[in-house]
Amino acid sequence: MAQAKREPNAPKRVRKTKPMDFTFLIIVLILLAYGLIMVFSASSATAHYKYDNAFYFIKRQFLWAILGLVVMFVVSRIPYKLYYRYALHLLGISVFLLILVPLIGVTVNGAKRWLGVGPIQFQPSEIAKFALIIFLSKSLSINTNALKKFWTGFISYLAIIGIVAGLVLIEPHLSGAMVIALSGVVVLFLAGARVWHLLALIPPAAGALALAIALAPYRMKRFTTFLDPFADPLGDGWQVIQSLYAIGSGGIFGLGLGQSRQKFLYIPEAHTDYIFSIICEELGFFGALLVVILFVILIWKGIQIAVHAPDSFSSMLVSGIIALVAIQVVLNIAVVTSSMPPTGIPLPFFSYGGTSLVFLLAGMGIVLNISRYKEK
Amino acid sequence: MKKLTFTIKKRAFAVMLIFAVVFTALSVRTGWIQFVNGKDLQRKAIEQQTKDSTINSRRGVIYDRNGKILAKSASVATVTVSPSQIAEAGNAQQVAESLAAILGMETEKVYSIITKNSAYEIVKRKIELEQADQIRALELKGVHLAEDSKRYYPYGSLASHTIGFVGTDNQGLNGVEMVFDKYLKGLPGRVISAKNARGTDMPFKYEKYINPENGANLVLTIDEVVQHFVEKHLEQAIADYKVTNGAACIIMNAKTGDILAMATKPDFDLNAPFQLNDPAVQAQIDLLEGDEKTQATSDALNKMWRNKAIVDTYEPGSTFKAITAAMALEEGVVSLGDTFNCTGALKVGPEVIRCWKAGGHGTLNFTQGVENSCNPVFMTIGARVGNSNFYKYFRAFGFTEKTGFDLPGEADSIFYPLDRFHEVELATASFGQGPTVTPLQMVQAYSALCNDGMMVRPRLAKELVDDDGNVIQTFDVEQVRQVISAETAATVRNILESVVSVGTSKSAYIKGYRVAGKTGTSEKVPRNNGKYVASFVGFAPANDPEIIGLLMLDEPMGDLHMGGQIAAPTFRKIFDDVLRYLNVEPQFTQEELASMDITVPAVEGFSKADAIKAFENSALNYRLVGDGDTVLSQIPKGGAALPEGSTVMLYTKETDTGDVSVPDVKGYTVSEANRIITNAGLNMKLDGAESTDGNSFVSSQSPAAGSTVPRGSVVNVELTYTDVH
Repeated sequence: MAQAKREPNAPKRVRKTKPMDFTFLIIVLILLAYGLIMVFSASSATAHYKYDNAFYFIKRQFLWAILGLVVMFVVSRIPYKLYYRYALHLLGISVFLLILVPLIGVTVNGAKRWLGVGPIQFQPSEIAKFALIIFLSKSLSINTNALKKFWTGFISYLAIIGIVAGLVLIEPHLSGAMVIALSGVVVLFLAGARVWHLLALIPPAAGALALAIALAPYRMKRFTTFLDPFADPLGDGWQVIQSLYAIGSGGIFGLGLGQSRQKFLYIPEAHTDYIFSIICEELGFFGALLVVILFVILIWKGIQIAVHAPDSFSSMLVSGIIALVAIQVVLNIAVVTSSMPPTGIPLPFFSYGGTSLVFLLAGMGIVLNISRYKEK
Repeated sequence: MKKLTFTIKKRAFAVMLIFAVVFTALSVRTGWIQFVNGKDLQRKAIEQQTKDSTINSRRGVIYDRNGKILAKSASVATVTVSPSQIAEAGNAQQVAESLAAILGMETEKVYSIITKNSAYEIVKRKIELEQADQIRALELKGVHLAEDSKRYYPYGSLASHTIGFVGTDNQGLNGVEMVFDKYLKGLPGRVISAKNARGTDMPFKYEKYINPENGANLVLTIDEVVQHFVEKHLEQAIADYKVTNGAACIIMNAKTGDILAMATKPDFDLNAPFQLNDPAVQAQIDLLEGDEKTQATSDALNKMWRNKAIVDTYEPGSTFKAITAAMALEEGVVSLGDTFNCTGALKVGPEVIRCWKAGGHGTLNFTQGVENSCNPVFMTIGARVGNSNFYKYFRAFGFTEKTGFDLPGEADSIFYPLDRFHEVELATASFGQGPTVTPLQMVQAYSALCNDGMMVRPRLAKELVDDDGNVIQTFDVEQVRQVISAETAATVRNILESVVSVGTSKSAYIKGYRVAGKTGTSEKVPRNNGKYVASFVGFAPANDPEIIGLLMLDEPMGDLHMGGQIAAPTFRKIFDDVLRYLNVEPQFTQEELASMDITVPAVEGFSKADAIKAFENSALNYRLVGDGDTVLSQIPKGGAALPEGSTVMLYTKETDTGDVSVPDVKGYTVSEANRIITNAGLNMKLDGAESTDGNSFVSSQSPAAGSTVPRGSVVNVELTYTDVH
């Protein structure tokens, strides 16, 4: 490639010698199908009451999924080196968009997270997640020894992560910021950051989190609610309690697909962040375990692809994207099971939401693309 | 591009392991919630997800002993709304207007109910099914009709204190409705249905029905006809004798304790039990406001609902003398031939206690003492019985304990504290003054006299039956205990019979029915206020009593207030009706047969000769008016009963029958009255016992003086005796 020659450190042309990872693709498709079924079940009641049409949400989600699959297959044909080349551009655009959000963003549910004109809306934080991982992977695959030094290396990378996460945090979007920061740290870890550097990070991170909670009254409230949800069962504790009721009602095999009673307005917008509790209620412990197992297989296959990736950039990129998904799953299930204070975070592949699904499938497309390259 | 380093591979693997651990932890956490906390969470979830509404069970019917319906429930509907659904539909004003029009309510009132911030409100209870159908036809969203039932009492105020009534939720509030509530109410059913978080309808129907179990039907021992007789005569007595504090009457089967009638007057309408029966009281209450008004209303209602027959105690007065006589005879401290001398007073300890008859009864034997209700005789035999024996029998006759009767609020009797029960107290208690008892206790005690000494417990409930009439449960006849010997009981009965036939209770005499009994008059405490309780306790037939009756008139304020003057005649009227209705076989004595009324032969349409022939063998006289050959009409009509020697007018021509004015005979003796009435061309008929001496006078007559009646008509007269107590 002509362009490749301009970059001294550009990866050499590698020959595609194998098809994409079929198992990974199947897992993605299973998760997507499972997610669509559950969105239909969980959204039907809200759709019935709000739009007098039980198919309102699933119709939209289904169309988004089709679009997402198209995007995934297109992305899987785009050579990953393209991201390598434009890593800095991507990050720059992301930061620019994130700065635009507080200025001209669209407010939804009291938070400015969206950018868009008319019907086309998206969250810049979705792009920023990928842009940061791509940038870090590239930069760290070049400066292999940068992380050995604390101040000039480790801290400066942290600062980059901090800027991106900070811009998301002020939207405000704490959960988004957390996902970005954590996935960034995972990439630092992969790149060889010293373990004690990472451990030293915990106290200030905890402090920052505490500050973020203490400074925003609604976060403080959520935190105390987490400690005792039954203190205010009709107010702040409502969502958590209703979620626990749903999970608890499920038992081993659940009430049966479509049989959730909690989705009848008890859990507000059951098809979004709290869809996991509906899965627990309808399909029981087995249904929930199936979700977890599918994600574990996804992570396992993803890490396998990373380990057999053609170069360190692609390996870190795959690991970063897989970590991004895994972190969201962990946070979502932790919130839904009241294992951490509630914060709005969707369950990948399951929660209703068109643009985030498309971005997610685009990310899967990147992984699939890298899986096609032979190990060197 | 840089080659993939081992560090990255190693660390990627580490990342996978970390996630594996975290995912495992989250799975455990999920399982913990489902299996460890699951039951509790599930229960709470179901609690909030379901709507549990009750379906009323049908309340059992209350029957009288002959199957007449005294109380029954009919289906009605209660209108409820779900304000949140109406808000969703957004047509509150329209709904309010339509409901108000059908229910006869104010639109603003309905509007304020249906726009409350709640999921459930009651608009109106117990509307007729017709109105419910109208509402149903409107198909208003958020307006619901709940099945409900309403209690109907076909006889209105009949036996109101005994039957009792129910509240808005059909729970028994008084009388047998309250006491037998657990049998009557049945078991309500339930509808469990799913609901969403807003409490509005679900897109699908999930409902589970648990059918209600209807209440059992209760058969009372009450006989509607007997109750009716009792109430009719009680009302008459209250009007005639200006009884101001109410009246009560109990009629009981002497052998089984079955209460055939239990009435308290004034009564109230069971179909509107919360409406005061006295407009004057209501008017007074209406002047009050706030808490005072609430309190006054509640007091007035409670007073109205009081069942005097069991809730009020009274001094039994001379009616208690039968009990004292039984004690003395049973203890063998007196025999019928014992003679006493009544000087008009008796010195007991430091006190001089008077007989009711000034100047005294002179020398008399025991039977005469009872017949004349002589106080010194009873003080004497009371002293012979002694304090401890007296109390022993007082207890044995059931006066110190509640009868355990089937109605609420039975009062406790009051006796002297035993350490203050000395000779003076014994003396007055012997003639019924001092201790207070309930009318029902008195009736129960008399049952010992009637049943050869075995006292029976009064009962009001006979059995429970299902809707097909099968008996579910029978309430047994209960014998309390043998109080006195059969001989003593028989002796007392004989004496009490002669009290009615020749003694102070002659006004209670009914030809052929061997009525026995005792009058009583007690002055209410505080004494000397002119307030009395006049009462009568009796039974019939004396040799083998079928029924016992007690009548009590509280505070008669008319000219007469003595038991013998007002309670005995009323009692006679009641017993006369009841004994005939119950088909109790009459037993006539020789004298009674001799003085039997004679049935007038029906001779209308007969030829003159045939008519005269019909009277030939009769003890009745006849008088022909006109010179026709056929009897066109007669007065009195055929079938009427007349005393011997009365005259029947036979008309043989269409003519003015010659109406006459009824003379006033009140205050005259029987013979004078008879002469006056006969002279007026009328026939006299005497109610009650005939006087054997001059100690009686006519107290009332029917038709009233001055009314115009056909010649030959019958004038009924009633006597009052001067020698009564």
